[in-house]
Amino acid sequence: MANHGGGAAGEVGSGGRPLPLSSIPAGDHTVWADASPFIEAACNDLQDGELVHGENFSLFAAMSALEIMDPKMDSGVENSGYCSVEEAIENGAAPIPLSLDRTIDVQRTIDVMDHLLACEATWHKGHSLAQTVFSCIYLLRIERTSSHALLHSYCRITRATCNAIISAVADARTHEEEDLFTMAYGLPLKGEGDEKCLSILNSVEETISRQLRACKAPSSKKKALEDLESLQTNPDLEEGYCRAFLCRLRFRKHFYHVLMCLRKPQGRGLELARKHVASCLSELASMYKSLEFLRSVSYGSAQEDSTTASGCRPVGFDVSLNSKLSAPTPPRAIRLLSWKKAVGYFEKLLHDLNVLCAFTLDPMLEDTLRFVVQFQKSQPDLVARAHLQLLLVQDGKLCGRDFFCDVISKALALPELAKDQEFQKNEFVVQLGQLVINLLKILCTNSAWQRRKLGKILQDWSVISMQLELAFKREFGEMLNVSIDENICMKVSKHLLIWAQEQTYWIASRFLTLGFELELYSPTDYCMVYWYMYVVFVKLLEKMQMRIAASSDNSRRKGKKKRDHTKDSGRDAGVSSSCLLLQCYIFLSEGLAMMLAALCNDCKVFQMTSPFNGEEERFVQHFELLQKAQVPEHISYYLFKDSTLHARLFNVAKHNYFREAQRIIASLKGSFSGEPDKLLEVRQLEQVAEHNRIALNVVNQVGGQDSSLKVSLEFTHHPYFAVAVVKRS
Amino acid sequence: METASTQNTQDPHSDSPLVSEGSSGNSSPLVAQLRKLLFRRMLIGVNDGRFFLGLFHCVDKQGNIILQDAVEYRSTRRSSPSPMEQPSLGLIWIPASCRSSCHVDCSIEEHMSLSSLAYWAMRLFGSRAKLGIE
Repeated sequence: MANHGGGAAGEVGSGGRPLPLSSIPAGDHTVWADASPFIEAACNDLQDGELVHGENFSLFAAMSALEIMDPKMDSGVENSGYCSVEEAIENGAAPIPLSLDRTIDVQRTIDVMDHLLACEATWHKGHSLAQTVFSCIYLLRIERTSSHALLHSYCRITRATCNAIISAVADARTHEEEDLFTMAYGLPLKGEGDEKCLSILNSVEETISRQLRACKAPSSKKKALEDLESLQTNPDLEEGYCRAFLCRLRFRKHFYHVLMCLRKPQGRGLELARKHVASCLSELASMYKSLEFLRSVSYGSAQEDSTTASGCRPVGFDVSLNSKLSAPTPPRAIRLLSWKKAVGYFEKLLHDLNVLCAFTLDPMLEDTLRFVVQFQKSQPDLVARAHLQLLLVQDGKLCGRDFFCDVISKALALPELAKDQEFQKNEFVVQLGQLVINLLKILCTNSAWQRRKLGKILQDWSVISMQLELAFKREFGEMLNVSIDENICMKVSKHLLIWAQEQTYWIASRFLTLGFELELYSPTDYCMVYWYMYVVFVKLLEKMQMRIAASSDNSRRKGKKKRDHTKDSGRDAGVSSSCLLLQCYIFLSEGLAMMLAALCNDCKVFQMTSPFNGEEERFVQHFELLQKAQVPEHISYYLFKDSTLHARLFNVAKHNYFREAQRIIASLKGSFSGEPDKLLEVRQLEQVAEHNRIALNVVNQVGGQDSSLKVSLEFTHHPYFAVAVVKRS
Repeated sequence: METASTQNTQDPHSDSPLVSEGSSGNSSPLVAQLRKLLFRRMLIGVNDGRFFLGLFHCVDKQGNIILQDAVEYRSTRRSSPSPMEQPSLGLIWIPASCRSSCHVDCSIEEHMSLSSLAYWAMRLFGSRAKLGIE
C-alpha cells in the first residue's frame, strides 16, 4: 500500500520542496490522510485547558515528554549544519588531502591532530564521545583517510586508544556518576584493522624520521637522499614540521603502549608501562615546544584558548553531525579544552599513572588501603582511577595474585592459615573477602560517590562484626579457661573479629574526613564533626592495639626463630608509628572539638543560628549512616552535648591537646624519614598543632569577652584539620 | 520535587480544574471525532523538515500534540530526497507553532469521510470566524 502513501505525498509540503512522505509507509490498506484542518477545527471547539487524551494519560508522564524543536531537549533539531556525514563530505567539509598545497596540507594535518587531542581530553573530563572525539569527520569515515598515511595512522591509533580506554573504564565500573563516558552507541568505534594501528604508525614514524634526517644532512650528502621525497615543499620549514609530527605520533604510540601494559594480568606490565609513561611525558614536552614554530608559520590569527598549537581552526570537524547520537542526554553545548589545557590534562593523567606503576605488588592489605588513599589525594581523573581499580582487583584476587582470604590471613598475622582449606571456606572469611573487594573498588571512585558508598557499606561491616561477635560468644562463651594455644579456632575467631572491627572504624574515619574534601560541613558543624572523628579515632586505635597485642602474643607463644627477629622488629616499629600517628589524630580532633566548643560557650562564635534546622537535626543529618551502623555503639547527640557543654577556654588551654600532639609528632619524624608521603603528613600536622596552640593561648589570655577578636578557621595546612586564625577587627 | 510527586500520586485529572476529563463535558461532534483518533498512528511534519511518527496521545486547545512511542524521520541530504533515519524517541510533545503538517493513518473510506468532515468543519469554522468579525 506504499503507493497510497505515495499518493498522499503531494498533499503535504512546506517551504516549496518536495517532502519524501512516500518513504514513510502507512499501514496495510491504509493511507496517510491530512488531518490538520480537522484538528484545527476540533481544537477550536475545546474549552480552555481541556485536553483530548486516552485513559492511559498521565499529566506527570506528559510533563517529561521531549519537546520537539526545543534546542535543550531535541537532539535532532535541525541546525544550519549538514544533515549527514556523507553530505558534509560531499560538500568538502573534510577534504583529503587537506590541501593541494603540500605545505598547507601538512599544517592542517597537525591542526586536526591537535584538535583531536583537545577533544580526547574533553571526553576524559566527562563529555560524550559523540560530541568530542567523534566530531571528527575523518574519524567517522576512517577508510577515506587511507590515502593520507599521516592522518590515517593518527586516526587509527586514536580510535584504538579510545577503545582501550572505554573497555578499561567499563570493566572497572568506577564510572557510576560518569556513565556518559562509555556511551558509544552508533559510533564507528570498532573497525577492522585497528589491531594493526601500531605497525601503521611505526612505518609513518620511520618515514618522517628519515625525512628529518634528510633535511638536516649537509648538502654533500643530500644527493644520496634525493630519492626520498620531502614532507612538504618549503625546505626552510621541513625540519620544524618533521619534528612537530614526530612528537605527536610518538606520544600516541607510547600512550597506547602505556594502556596495553597496564592491562597485563597481575601487574606484570607495570615496569614497562613506567618507561612508556616517561617517554610520553617527554614527547608531550616536545609537543609543547613545537607550539612556537607552529604559531610562527600559521596561516591564521592565533587565539589563546585555541584547540590547536598553531591557533588555527581545524578542518574536518562538525559537532552537530553527531549530536543526535549523544542521546540519552540532551544535546549540550560543549566547550572543548584548549590545546594547552589538553596537554596539561595528559601530563596530569600520566603522572597519576606513574604513581600507579610504582605500586608494590604483593602488598599487605593495610598498605594497599593507604596507597589508594594517597593516590586519591591528587584527585586523579576517571581514567587513572579505573586503571588503579583494575590493577587492584583482578579475577577476584588482589592484583590478580592473592585470594582475598589469603590477604585477610596475612592481615591477621596468622600466616599458618594461608593455605588452610577450612579457613578459606569459612563463611565469615568468604563474606569478609567480598567486603574487602567492594571496599577497594569503592575507594577508587570519585570522592562524592566514594563517601556515599562508604556510608552504605559501613552497615555491612558492622553487621558482620556483630555476627562474628555473636558466633564467638556462642561457641567460646563457656570456655574461658581454655588456653589460646589449645584452641586455634578460638584464636582465629578472635583475630577476625578484632580485624573486622578495625576495618569498620577505618571506613568510618575515611567517611568523616572525606566530608571536608567535599566541603559538606559548615564551620558551625566542625565542633561535632571533630568530636565524632575523635570518638572514631579512639575506637580505631583501641582495635589496632588489640590486634597488635593479639598477634605479638601469638608470635611470642610460637617461639620465633632468631633470624625473624630483625624483620619483626622493623614491622613492630612500623606498627607502633601508625599507632602514634593515630594518637596524634586523636589529640588534634579532640583539641579542635573542645576548642570550638569553648569558643562557642565563652565567645559565642560558631554558634548555630539556622532557622531551618537545629543542632540535633544537623547531628543526625551528618552522622545518620554511622549511627545506623552503630559505629561506634552508644553514641548519641546527647553524649556529644554532654561532653562539650561545659567546655571552657581556660580548661581547654590547660589540657594542652595540641602540645601533646606536638610531642608525638617530634618522635614520629624520625621513624618516617624514609617515607616522603608520611613525612609530609606529619609536617602538616605539626603546623596545625602549632598554630592552634598559639591561637588558643591568645584567645584564652585576651578572654572571651573581647568582642573585637575574630576567630576563623582555615584549611591552609591540612586537608581536614583546621587551623584557627585570630584577628583583631 | 514535592509538587511533582503529589501530582504523581493523585489522579492528575480528577480534581485539577485545568485539565478536564477526556471523555466527558464537551458535546462537540468534532471533539468526539477527534477523540476517535486517539491511539492511531499519526505522522507530524515540523518546520525543519523532519517527521515524527507515533501514536496520537493527547492534544490541547492550542493544538500542541503529544505522540507516544515516536520515531524521528529525517532527511540525510539537504538537496534531494534521500534515505531516512529513525531514532526512536518515546514520548514527545510537538508545539503547534512548529507543526507544518499532520497526517493520520486511516483506511481509504475513512479518509474520504475525514476530508469531508474537515471540509464541513472548515466551512463551519470559517463562518464562525466571519460572525466574530461582524
